[in-house]
Amino acid sequence: MSILRGLGIGWRPEIAGFIAGLETLGFTEVIAESIHRELPPPLAALRDKGVPVIPHGVKLSLGGADPVDPDRVEHFANAAAVTRAPLVSEHIAFVRAAGMEAGHLLPLPRTREAVDAVVANVTTVQSTLDVPLALEPIAALVEWPDDELTEAQFLTEILDRTGALLLLDIANVYANALNRNEDPHALLHAIPWDRVAYVHVAGGEMVDGLYHDTHVHPVPDEAYKMLRETRPTAVMLERDGRYPPAGQLRAELDAIAEAAWG
Amino acid sequence: MGLKERQEELVRALVAGGADPAGCTNVAAARDQLLHKRAGEAGRAWPMLRASLGPNWYRDFSAWAANRPTLGSYRDGLEFARTLTLTGAALAEFEQRTRPPARRWFARPAR
Repeated sequence: MSILRGLGIGWRPEIAGFIAGLETLGFTEVIAESIHRELPPPLAALRDKGVPVIPHGVKLSLGGADPVDPDRVEHFANAAAVTRAPLVSEHIAFVRAAGMEAGHLLPLPRTREAVDAVVANVTTVQSTLDVPLALEPIAALVEWPDDELTEAQFLTEILDRTGALLLLDIANVYANALNRNEDPHALLHAIPWDRVAYVHVAGGEMVDGLYHDTHVHPVPDEAYKMLRETRPTAVMLERDGRYPPAGQLRAELDAIAEAAWG
Repeated sequence: MGLKERQEELVRALVAGGADPAGCTNVAAARDQLLHKRAGEAGRAWPMLRASLGPNWYRDFSAWAANRPTLGSYRDGLEFARTLTLTGAALAEFEQRTRPPARRWFARPAR
């Protein structure tokens, strides 16, 4: 899957100037829910220069037991149109229930019923899009009991039934493995790599013995190791706050490129 | 229990003071993570309010927000502010945002 190539970074208004100054930006990603009728001028400039801009949804709740909200689906499709995106992405997660917003991505129990819910919602969203949808497995602290499927089975089943691509977050794989006392490399090798559209990487921190995927800390060494091992075609950094000085952020991007393709 | 009920039970435990779902791990840690994220977002929406509480922002906001599902970071800050005795810049921020809009005396353009 090589719709995207090279190194990217998540576009955020706070670092728009920094991103505009990157000479070798392969692509960027913008939170789909933050897009209105027109893109912010610095992001529109990137798009018009030919940098692929990927809308990344965070609130569709594709794994919700309820059907996905038609207004949100329409907004997501509009975001794809206004960015002229070659693909779009969202998460395998749910974010609300019974009218209450969780405020974050929550994991699904790995059951056949949950697979059916994701497949139904993904199919609805896909019917409004004329570009591919990539699905991202999340980092989760909460684990459900009584799973019927392994993580790899769960993922493969969803991808096979929807034809969706995969957005693999290396830091999420690392976080989940660490918090479950599993081997991150084992899951990495169970991933259907032919379906991976692009890769996320981000930083986090340990809090009371659990790894939190914060997006505001440096990328952990183990994530670099995983990049060296997998050498993805397209990889991007997600940084959501506590932005370091430009030189430091640039060095982190260089280190990601070096790990992936050096 | 079906998926719908399981999801509702977890969200209720995380944001509305519901009991932890049986067998789920790390629910308390996830609850703290959500509150921290929510406090950060509300603080960005209400910078003077946040500054007025200094290092106690996360503690005080979280104590207020736990068990109250969010209605968005703007509303979170607004409702939290209503529970405080505001002074200085935080008071000015609150008043500026809650003042009724000035009446417009000019007529709307005819269609």
